[in-house]
Amino acid sequence: MTAVAVHAGGGLADHIHPEPQGFFRKYVFSIDHKIIGIQYMITAFLFMILGGMLAELIRVQLMKASGGLMTAETYNEVYSIHGSTMVWLVIIPLLTGGFGNLVFPVQIGARDVAFPWVNMLSFWLFPAAGLMLYASFLMGAPTAGWTEYPPMSLQGAAGTSMWAAAIFLIGVSSTMTGINFLVTILKMRAPGMTFTRMPLFVWGQFVTAPLLMIATTALGAALAALFIQRQFGVAFYDPTRGGSPLLWQHMFWFYSHPAVYIMILPAFGMISEILPTFSRKPIFGYKMIAFSSCAIAILGFMVWAHHMFTSGLAPALQLPFMVLTMLIAIPTGIKIFSWVATLWGGVIHMTTSMMFAIGFLATFTLGGITGVFLAAVPFDLHVHGTYFIVAHLHYVLVGGSLMGILAGLFYWYPKMTGRLMNETLGKWAFWLFFIGFNGTFLPMHWLGMWGQPRRVAEYDPQFQGWNQFASWFSFVMTAALILVLINALWSMRKGKKSGPNPWNARTLEWQIPSPMPYYNFKHVPSVLAAPYDFAEPLPYRGLEEELTGAPPPVPAAH
Amino acid sequence: MPENRDPVVHLDRGFWIVTAVLGVLAVLAIVWWIVAPIQSLMPEAVDKAQEIDALFRFLAATGTALWILVCGYVLYFALAFRRRPGTPDNAVGVQIHDNNKLEAWWTVIPTVFVVVMAIFSIRIWYGIEVAPTNTLVVEAIGYQWHYTFRYPDINGEVAEMHLPLGQPVTLHVTGYDVIHSFWIPAMRLKADMVPGLINTLEFTPTRPGRYEIICTEFCGVDHGLMHSGTKDDPAYVYIDPPAQYSAWYARTQRKQASASNALPVAGARTSIALAGGDPKAGRAIFSQKCSACHALGPFDQRIVGPGLKGVLHDPAHPALVNGARATPENVANILQTGFKGSLGQMPNQAANGLTSKDIANLVAYLKTLK
Repeated sequence: MTAVAVHAGGGLADHIHPEPQGFFRKYVFSIDHKIIGIQYMITAFLFMILGGMLAELIRVQLMKASGGLMTAETYNEVYSIHGSTMVWLVIIPLLTGGFGNLVFPVQIGARDVAFPWVNMLSFWLFPAAGLMLYASFLMGAPTAGWTEYPPMSLQGAAGTSMWAAAIFLIGVSSTMTGINFLVTILKMRAPGMTFTRMPLFVWGQFVTAPLLMIATTALGAALAALFIQRQFGVAFYDPTRGGSPLLWQHMFWFYSHPAVYIMILPAFGMISEILPTFSRKPIFGYKMIAFSSCAIAILGFMVWAHHMFTSGLAPALQLPFMVLTMLIAIPTGIKIFSWVATLWGGVIHMTTSMMFAIGFLATFTLGGITGVFLAAVPFDLHVHGTYFIVAHLHYVLVGGSLMGILAGLFYWYPKMTGRLMNETLGKWAFWLFFIGFNGTFLPMHWLGMWGQPRRVAEYDPQFQGWNQFASWFSFVMTAALILVLINALWSMRKGKKSGPNPWNARTLEWQIPSPMPYYNFKHVPSVLAAPYDFAEPLPYRGLEEELTGAPPPVPAAH
Repeated sequence: MPENRDPVVHLDRGFWIVTAVLGVLAVLAIVWWIVAPIQSLMPEAVDKAQEIDALFRFLAATGTALWILVCGYVLYFALAFRRRPGTPDNAVGVQIHDNNKLEAWWTVIPTVFVVVMAIFSIRIWYGIEVAPTNTLVVEAIGYQWHYTFRYPDINGEVAEMHLPLGQPVTLHVTGYDVIHSFWIPAMRLKADMVPGLINTLEFTPTRPGRYEIICTEFCGVDHGLMHSGTKDDPAYVYIDPPAQYSAWYARTQRKQASASNALPVAGARTSIALAGGDPKAGRAIFSQKCSACHALGPFDQRIVGPGLKGVLHDPAHPALVNGARATPENVANILQTGFKGSLGQMPNQAANGLTSKDIANLVAYLKTLK
């Protein structure tokens, strides 16, 4: 094989730069994809603490039908920033910039992403945007929710413009990440890493990257128009001067529906790695899982107006959006059934990571099913804008994306730190999280159907019982997340040493030391097969020196 | 070599028993959703509510059954195939990659379900979208933070919504300041009240009573109070028996004639002689004076004002901006006196530089827009 010949001689593929030694170049302004990934994760988890505190403020406020903790004005700011934080500063950065950066370049056998400096810029825009978003509290935070529909958002306090600028900036960061990842996957795969040999997490990033690139531009345009109307009075969204409030909704959802898949496709990828590893079985239906991700990504661009069934869409437009949305159930169903079949006949190691992955199957499936309910226009007319939507979106974003993230955190933590997270604490966290999550969000389905609208600081007293129920369980969920945080901090120093491959996994990142060295691979390996045949020898060549003390190849001279 | 799990011993253990149990549970869930007493929890106040509930029963039944099957098998596999103590570290599961037949089934069956679901939804959607004839046309307007209603031949805007039992209703909704939403849970229907846009709901009230109206689109600091549960000035729709409705209508019509928000011009007879208007001349004036703001397309084709297609022919056409029914007299009237109000404005005769003859010609032209 030619590929092997290249590596035996150590040609161009072994061209590596020396590791930077200064603290700032190594840990702060790093261009190493792994450090950037960890920076993304730390920043996103910090924002998750803030967003989680806002969530608990919401739940405490709703313990009483008449509210009482906050004024309605403050409450509106709190849930608006909660939603914006969780979508743009937590879930998307964690799944793309965080786990994406950390894992997928190694999985394709690359030494870094295609544009490391762009990667660094992508990251540094993210905390800047986050700080801008939180600075909006100082000038009156936005109040119209994370969707900020005009004309309401035109009435919002000065912070609403700050919000638009912050989200615009995070959009720039996302777009660059998308380009970077797409080019990396297209151009920098190790020899022999064909598309049908790529790990499914790489597939997840591969279909997410174009979504980031294409969809985010629509959001950018919408945000720019909102900013310009607010600051300079150009009437994009004002119907009395020829604008249209629906213009925003179309552009916003043209981004935000694909964004839903940005927030779940990488998590699908994680689940597709974790289930086979801990079942000691090949992933069932590899090709169908990969193709169904592509189908979801393509269909995902054609369904945005299902968020607008009550907004005044032309009736003839409602039907295609309804049918296309329902079609997404088919590739999603294929994935779920394939994951269930992956468990069948396995030797299942019940690690914390695996428990989160299995929990994902239960909760994400429920969120997916209620998604099909919402696609049916007549039913959507009833529950649109109610707590049913709140329940649905949290089932897919918390029960789906966040469950995936937690599974991934326990799974890849050793690759960041060289240590394992504590399993006992982890299992406690899982059960508390699973119970707390379902107790919080399951009742919201019927609350919405009975008549509780979303985004209200006080509500009909007849709903107080179930709201209290949800609030109590939300405390359990928060306790679980605090446990995860404690676990992660404690394990950094005290966790059991993991060695390179504690899970006996087969993708490339597990074949090199933990934590992963600066250059990832001493010699770029070549790939002979997909990584899921647990009964076979590893399908890689050229990895012999990775776990030995052999020095890395001589750094290239500048 | 890693050890393969012995397929004969383990794989089928309990599979068919579990499948049978899950099947029974799924059937029970389906039966539950078919018989669930939805009406007793949430009254069905209009004809469409029952249909939407039927769709919900179908969705909930299939959804719950599917969820039980997925979770049941996940739980069963997770327990049955868990790594038991003493299993060697290098033991692996059954090394299968796929099964075309199985994958074909779980592609085809959901596709069939999706098609059935789509057909079911489209049929009910069709019933919701298609207007019955001879309807009562009512308008609801959302303000920060209350609703008002306009009725044919009632002057101004009224604070309560009354509907006669059994009479098909066309409800046009719009927003004055920001986007609001008009939701009556007992009707299972909702439409956003978007400034500059009129959305329409069609239904026939079938159950008398008082039902709350709820805003579901965030509309500002008192959004949460824009419903009946907590507000001093609650928003209700009253579905009355026809006689009671007529009495309310007559009473309100009298009261509104002199109410503070009365519009002295609306509904009054015009002084302009409309007979003998020339549509051709009207068309020329329209293109000079009107077309900057009004399109010739359908109502929702808005430039500044609405599109005027069918304005004098469609009985369910939304009222004029001053609340008056779209009749030739009322159109002539608003052209003559102009109007400035909550939903917009119309310049008067002097501002537009129209003679009375021009107005007659314009009305004649508008009559030709079918």
